[in-house]
Amino acid sequence: MDNRKILVIGGGVAGLEASKQLLRLGLHPVIVERSERLGGHVAGWYKLFPDMRPASDVVNQLVEGVKGATVYLNTRVAYMNRLKDGFSVMLGNGTGLHCRAVLITTGFRLFEAARKEEYGYGVYDRVITNSDLEAWFGGEADGRIPDNPRTVAFVHCVGSRDLKAGNQQCSKVCCMTAVKQAIEMKEKFPDAEIWCFYMDLRLFGKKYEDFYINAQQQYGVHFVRGRVSEVSEDIAGRVVLKAEDTLTGHPVKLSADLLVLMSGMLCNRDTESLAAMVRAEVDSDGFLRSRDNICNVNESNRPGVFFAGACTGAKTVPETLAEARAAALAVYNYMSGND
Amino acid sequence: MIDFGFSLSKSSSIKLDEVDLSLYRRLEEVEPGVRICMGCGSCSATCNASKWSGMSVRKVILDLQRGRDMKEMLSCCMLCGKCSMVCPRGINTRHLILSLCRLYESGK
Amino acid sequence: MRERFASGFDPFVLPFLIGMVFVLGYCAVGILRILRQLPREDRKRFLVSLVTPSTALANIRDIFLNCLIHVKLWKRNKLLGFMHSSIAFGWFMIILLGHLEVFIYCPERIHLFYYPIFFNYFVAENESTIGGALLFFLMDFFLLLILTGIVLAMVKRARSRLFGMRRTTRPSFLDTIGLYSLWAIFPLRLLAESFTAHISGGSFLTVPANWVFRQFLGNDLNMLPTWWAYSIALGVFMTVLPFTRYMHIPAEMMLIPMRNAGLRIRHARRGFAKVEVLSCPGCGVCIDACPMSVKKANIKDCTVYLNRQIRRGNEKRIEEISDKCLLCGKCEAVCQVGVEGPRLRVAQRAMRRYAINQDFSAIDTSSLVPEAAGKVLYFAGCMTKLTPSIGKAVCSLMRKAGVDFVWMDEEEGLCCGRPLLTAGRFAQAKELVRKNEEIILASGARTLVLSCPICYKIFSEHYRLPGVRVVHYARFFEELVAQGRLQFEKSDIFYVYHDPCELGRGCGIYDEPRRLLGAAAGITEAPASREESICCGGSLGSLTLGFSQREEMTKAALRKLYESKADAIATACPLCLATFSRYSERPVRDLAQILDARTKQTAR
Repeated sequence: MDNRKILVIGGGVAGLEASKQLLRLGLHPVIVERSERLGGHVAGWYKLFPDMRPASDVVNQLVEGVKGATVYLNTRVAYMNRLKDGFSVMLGNGTGLHCRAVLITTGFRLFEAARKEEYGYGVYDRVITNSDLEAWFGGEADGRIPDNPRTVAFVHCVGSRDLKAGNQQCSKVCCMTAVKQAIEMKEKFPDAEIWCFYMDLRLFGKKYEDFYINAQQQYGVHFVRGRVSEVSEDIAGRVVLKAEDTLTGHPVKLSADLLVLMSGMLCNRDTESLAAMVRAEVDSDGFLRSRDNICNVNESNRPGVFFAGACTGAKTVPETLAEARAAALAVYNYMSGND
Repeated sequence: MIDFGFSLSKSSSIKLDEVDLSLYRRLEEVEPGVRICMGCGSCSATCNASKWSGMSVRKVILDLQRGRDMKEMLSCCMLCGKCSMVCPRGINTRHLILSLCRLYESGK
Repeated sequence: MRERFASGFDPFVLPFLIGMVFVLGYCAVGILRILRQLPREDRKRFLVSLVTPSTALANIRDIFLNCLIHVKLWKRNKLLGFMHSSIAFGWFMIILLGHLEVFIYCPERIHLFYYPIFFNYFVAENESTIGGALLFFLMDFFLLLILTGIVLAMVKRARSRLFGMRRTTRPSFLDTIGLYSLWAIFPLRLLAESFTAHISGGSFLTVPANWVFRQFLGNDLNMLPTWWAYSIALGVFMTVLPFTRYMHIPAEMMLIPMRNAGLRIRHARRGFAKVEVLSCPGCGVCIDACPMSVKKANIKDCTVYLNRQIRRGNEKRIEEISDKCLLCGKCEAVCQVGVEGPRLRVAQRAMRRYAINQDFSAIDTSSLVPEAAGKVLYFAGCMTKLTPSIGKAVCSLMRKAGVDFVWMDEEEGLCCGRPLLTAGRFAQAKELVRKNEEIILASGARTLVLSCPICYKIFSEHYRLPGVRVVHYARFFEELVAQGRLQFEKSDIFYVYHDPCELGRGCGIYDEPRRLLGAAAGITEAPASREESICCGGSLGSLTLGFSQREEMTKAALRKLYESKADAIATACPLCLATFSRYSERPVRDLAQILDARTKQTAR
């Protein structure tokens, strides 16, 4: 019997990178992915900051790396049971497994923008989300995006830092995404005016500030510090935004041909029930609780249960990949009794 | 005093270490939510009264913390409650305004 | 028939007599004070109503039905109804029959307060006469009725759940004394009358009891202590009555005529409000009804406790309770005596003094007047700005029906004034009302359609708009359906309709939304609907409840709606929609949205 099996729940970039490393360490990852393809959210994106590398490149490279791992697509974990030397796992497709450790890489889900009624997603014709825009960049048709928009507005923090939306955390990726998408829009529509409405700009990563400067200097993107609180529609079907420019102290109004909502990141819905099967805990922010947030971010408070990626909180792709490699090492050490 | 036909305006800079925060402290007691404002401006943007009196809950909260008088602004508030609805921090702005309207009486 | 004592007096009547004189004196002074507290016009109105035959008759009927028979309570809970009416009506009959006896047999004693009460001690009667036998039978019958009521009351005290009450009030110390003395009165009366039954006569209860007692207590001297005990119980009860919740008995007899005279609360503590507060029997039905009571910490903020604190004069708590309430009106809907919890609180809020008083005189309405001569005007209200789907759906429906309309506050508008009104800022609210009236009248519109029930309530109650019809969209669209201008295709989704507080209890609109919804989708009822609908928790009525304190209330209201097994939730209020959407596991839609999605293209 193979006693080197590791259950990896979630075939997104975290699961793929961790599995690749686990293979290299001589372990046998079993990837269980609920959708029909590997790559998770990133597979639906167009280009990744800060190098603007095509997301498909990264995903393909990662998928290449897991050759040799067992992969179940369209499959969910039905139940997991802790045994003395590991876990007995039953998959939704009827497969039973015995694994030595469990690595949870279930990632995030995007905040449903329609839940912030006042922004009119699903009500007005010209309102889309950041992920809709990525898909459109990637070639998908979207009737909501006009052929030649004169004004495009980005609203940051939709479903992030918002008690009313049930998520008080900063999703941290969206500020940079907005700057990136603003630049991409400007490249597509050089005559369009682009407006970003933000509460605080949190551009913390390597080269992120360069993007910000570039957006201002080279692309002339306008930044307004103020949270949009109302959106209405004019007769021509354009959306009318109301915000306060808090830096000048004036209420402002903007008619836009397209409104992009930067939906925040929440923990995936079924992650909680998965965690409950192995008695891992959920933190107050709705994401999974690490053993501690400094030294053992990859470890749960239960032996043999590990985390990587956005299931413990919002993360960028490079952060997720780094964490995935660290998680693989943590699993390896656990298996070899090096704890 | 001799009238020169013009006057020197006082410096607009606020000395934070000398600010009189007594009113703010009393408001804190009745509505502790006042502390967690992050100044996003949602309340001011949605306000129906801003057009008439320059009302901005954000300014009221922040200026109060800088020891400035905010009476004027409050005069057109209709208490409609939209500001409480949109506040991402869940501050009970409506109660904050009502409390402030009362507090002015007992002190200043 | 013979009188046993020529003097017609025995010292044992003193406790009763003292209690009786005290309580009557107390009530007389109280009535005079309350009359003095009423504004002059209200006082005149009240006194005139007392001698106007129609209201006087209504008063007698209502007092009989509510104070004695407890009709409202019967409708709500048969067991509680029986318990209360058996004690109240039985006691009333015993007093009435006592007076009848005195009147028939010794009319010269009718001026003695105690004679009808202790008739059987002072007068020896023979049950052999038809009249005597009948009176004795009736006396025993009603005593038995009361005793069953008392037994039920004891069971209820120990096990309120058996009576369908999850929670009840905790009685104060004096309440407990009042309660025990009340419980003691009737068993003691049975005992006293039984001891004298072989002398003064009796019936099916007292005669057998007398026979039993005489088997081992032959001496007639034993009878006096029991009459003393009976008198003391009565005396204690009446002496403590003004300081206990039993004050509701005399107070309600005052409340009913005042209400019938059309009086309203004008001051939070005086006049009519005072009578309402005293009329609260402290039953605690409002506790289970209150949406805030899902949190144990909020139980003490229900109307029953407001009344108690007002009687105690605990200003700090009165303020807290008044400010916290959502003003959903459910306590008033379930209250047996009709205490207006929300009005009491708003009146309390209105008593406050502010240093800054809002002043809207500077607002120039001319820039807000739309051109709508002869057209329909649509006023969405502030909240709908944050739930744009409602405004969009209402406009879309009107367009489909070919209504020539103008959206009054599409760009900018003033608040309707209701939030100021509920905060107790009447003068400021009125000023805002006048401003909106100016705008609407200047627009030349004939009809004003509203989609927000909060606005609708103040528009229909406080706005003076001659020549303009004010209508809620549910009524307006129903008319359009009747005219064939709107038609719906029924979907197979089942909705449960949540009655918004302001639309249902506030304006009495329950059926129109249901009929419309029924035409466009399947419809089911929640266990607590219509008058009993539970507030979503988002109400602007509460001044102090913070955002996170409301979560549990919303979730509790949702759970009740889920019980209906519906696929989705329908409502007709922007605030309910926003609040429910936040936590609901099932889709939440405004009625207008549902209708708009299911319109059939008509011929026009």
